[in-house]
Amino acid sequence: MRRVVGLSLSAMLLGSAALPMAVPTAAQQAVRGGTLTFATGADPDSLDPQNTQSNPGEQVNRMMHENLIRFNAKMQLEPGLAESWSVSKDGLTWTFKLRKGVKFHDGTAFDAKAVKYFFDRVLGDEKPFKASLYTPVVQAAEVVDDATVRVRLKQPFGAFLFIMAHSAGAIVSPAAHQKWGKDLALHPVGTGPFKFVEWVKGDHVTMERNDAYWGGRPNLDRVLVKTVREDQSRVLMLESGDADLIVNIPTEEIPRLKKDPRFTIESSPTARALFIVINVKKKPFDDVRVRQALNYAVNRDAIVKELFQNNAQVIPGPVSPLQNGYAQLSGYAHDPKKARELLAQAGKPSLRVKLWSPKGRFVKDYELAQAVQQDLAAVGVEATLSTLEWGAYLAATKAPVDQTDRELFLLGWSPSTGEARWGTFPLLHSSQFAPKGDNRGFFASRALDEAIDKATLATTDPARLGALREAQQIAINEAPYIFLISPNMIVGTSKKVRDVVNLPLELTYLTEKSWKEK
Amino acid sequence: MIAYITRRLLLIAPVLLGVSIGSFALLQLVPGDPAMILAGQEATEEVLTRIRHEHGLDQPVAIQFLVYLRNAVGGNLGISIQSRQPVATLIAQRFPFTLRLAFLAILVSAALGVVAGIVAATRRNSMLDLAALLGSLVGISLPIFWLGLLMMLVFSVRLQWFPAGGSGTATHLVLPALVLGASSSAVIARMTRASMLEVLRQDYVRTARAKGLREQIVIYRHALKNAMIPILTVFGLEFGYNLGGAVLTETVFSLPGLGRLIVEGIFARDYPVVQGAMLVVATTFVLVNLLTDIAYAFFDPRIRYE
Repeated sequence: MRRVVGLSLSAMLLGSAALPMAVPTAAQQAVRGGTLTFATGADPDSLDPQNTQSNPGEQVNRMMHENLIRFNAKMQLEPGLAESWSVSKDGLTWTFKLRKGVKFHDGTAFDAKAVKYFFDRVLGDEKPFKASLYTPVVQAAEVVDDATVRVRLKQPFGAFLFIMAHSAGAIVSPAAHQKWGKDLALHPVGTGPFKFVEWVKGDHVTMERNDAYWGGRPNLDRVLVKTVREDQSRVLMLESGDADLIVNIPTEEIPRLKKDPRFTIESSPTARALFIVINVKKKPFDDVRVRQALNYAVNRDAIVKELFQNNAQVIPGPVSPLQNGYAQLSGYAHDPKKARELLAQAGKPSLRVKLWSPKGRFVKDYELAQAVQQDLAAVGVEATLSTLEWGAYLAATKAPVDQTDRELFLLGWSPSTGEARWGTFPLLHSSQFAPKGDNRGFFASRALDEAIDKATLATTDPARLGALREAQQIAINEAPYIFLISPNMIVGTSKKVRDVVNLPLELTYLTEKSWKEK
Repeated sequence: MIAYITRRLLLIAPVLLGVSIGSFALLQLVPGDPAMILAGQEATEEVLTRIRHEHGLDQPVAIQFLVYLRNAVGGNLGISIQSRQPVATLIAQRFPFTLRLAFLAILVSAALGVVAGIVAATRRNSMLDLAALLGSLVGISLPIFWLGLLMMLVFSVRLQWFPAGGSGTATHLVLPALVLGASSSAVIARMTRASMLEVLRQDYVRTARAKGLREQIVIYRHALKNAMIPILTVFGLEFGYNLGGAVLTETVFSLPGLGRLIVEGIFARDYPVVQGAMLVVATTFVLVNLLTDIAYAFFDPRIRYE
């Protein structure tokens, strides 16, 4: 048995741009007590981690629940409720050693039985929404002793630890699940630093500190998560002192807020990739030269600098640097001359295309599409840009190949498992064509399929990372998208607030270490 | 009177049926799939199928409507697709906020609008009249969004008198009520002015003045009471509108009201929530209008409902 405690991706991170993490001015003594008010953009959909499908739900869940393994702020895996783990040589059996003396908020013990209960639930008849993360991979779990669980897989799965660190891998009190059933969504019981108090739908979730927390007594007494839909209203709440912490600050407000000594504005990279999907089943986009030309036409550096004011970074391919498995490869430089040449070679010196973009779903999405539109015009590609409301957009971009005339459309993807296999497989594998899967541009490449499959079944980390690197290289060469950028998440806090976690999965939350000056 | 009220109450049923058919048809026409929106981009086909099945969205549209109708008649408004909570519970949580806000706003608009309208009418063509006219023009033209944010900037950020949005205490409702009331008060001021000018020209006002009554009594007892009918109509409409249409105010100030529930429901294609909330709004609208009609009889005893 090999020990693989704390898989590290620091080597890859060192290569990327330095991360602007919040650095406290001086090592100050944490203050105890107080209520922290956190204004976020939308209401949770559910507080049952296995049924939660949205970020607003996940970030509240992460304050009350814990996983066997967790991400740190740099997306490295570290021990959570499991102290250590190991895997058999064939990659089929994982053994977790659990932390002892941990209790759920309802007083029942966290032990191997609770972990087995979790697996039985996601594999069983109840089929919570997020079960599909585990059902294709996991065979069964068994209790070895009170503090040891063995999990058998159906096939080796290179990203197994990542699906365990996913928000849906949180271990819920079995007693609470039995008591509440479907209503667990309203009565969450985990082991985390904060305990559930109340949820007033559409308004707020209140949590209080869990004095019995195994990691030590949390500093904050209470956390109040308020739903404030309007971006400007959140900014005003921060300025008036009605909120201590706000998310999704509009880019144009950042310079002003940064100058204000009362606030800390943190802009940190995310795992999200933004790109323009190309429908390769439509002519002339079946020609790789046309797709490459579109990529050479775009001036990504200017987009990052001018449009995003450096609150974003250029990415070479379909994967963002904060997805585990990101490979540092060279992407498409801004080369209008080469773009024109390639278009001429393909027999399309001028071209009319349809470009779609959502408006307001991703940071500056529509403006980004406009910038691309201008760059394309400069090489003789005339794009008409249109937008749809998000619900209609999701449906329209998922229509099957014979029922759509879509050509180019902007999308964002943040793999919720934090790794590049989930950043490529659902989008680019030929088995995942829309409407069944998320391959909305109908890209198919045997070489890419094989590389992704190899990463999926890898039993060692080097094998997984190598296969993912190969997949990214093929994707860059084949250009199924116009590759663009990875946007930052922008979070504002009162200067009084310290140690807020901004996970690159666009989740902001508080831990036992978070505190607030009096 | 009793017979009249009963007849009006019975009219609610066809109104609600019409509203149900209308909102159901409109929602079906809007493109988008509730399951896809709920489950997000990462959802598997299996999950989408399950959500659709759970809420009967895999049934033919006609069947869906009949099931909805049968349940609604039995008082069951269904389950929200987004939150899997009973729609009735969601509405019950939101409605008190909306009712309170609409009520406070109508008080604000009565205080501002009626007074400004009377002043303008009695001092016709004076500077005060001009100011009232101009003020109401600005009031009608100002976007609620802008006014709301401006009020927050002044009264929450600068002066720190009131909280910048959210709910919980009475102080949370002051700014939203002012903003919502201000926009209705503009309409009410204009209506009051026009109606008062009409009445002040009548013979009985001249008679009252000729009798030597004090101007105050002439204005408030004789003129205003007679001018009230069209003003009341506007009150009724504005109040009804505030119940379902205060969504902008509710959004700027983060109030969990019915208007926001409906709009968020539309974005999420949460059909049961939108339909349920529309029924509640329509019912209250009809009731408010009925009350307005009854109030007519109070202000003008010549009006009889038989």
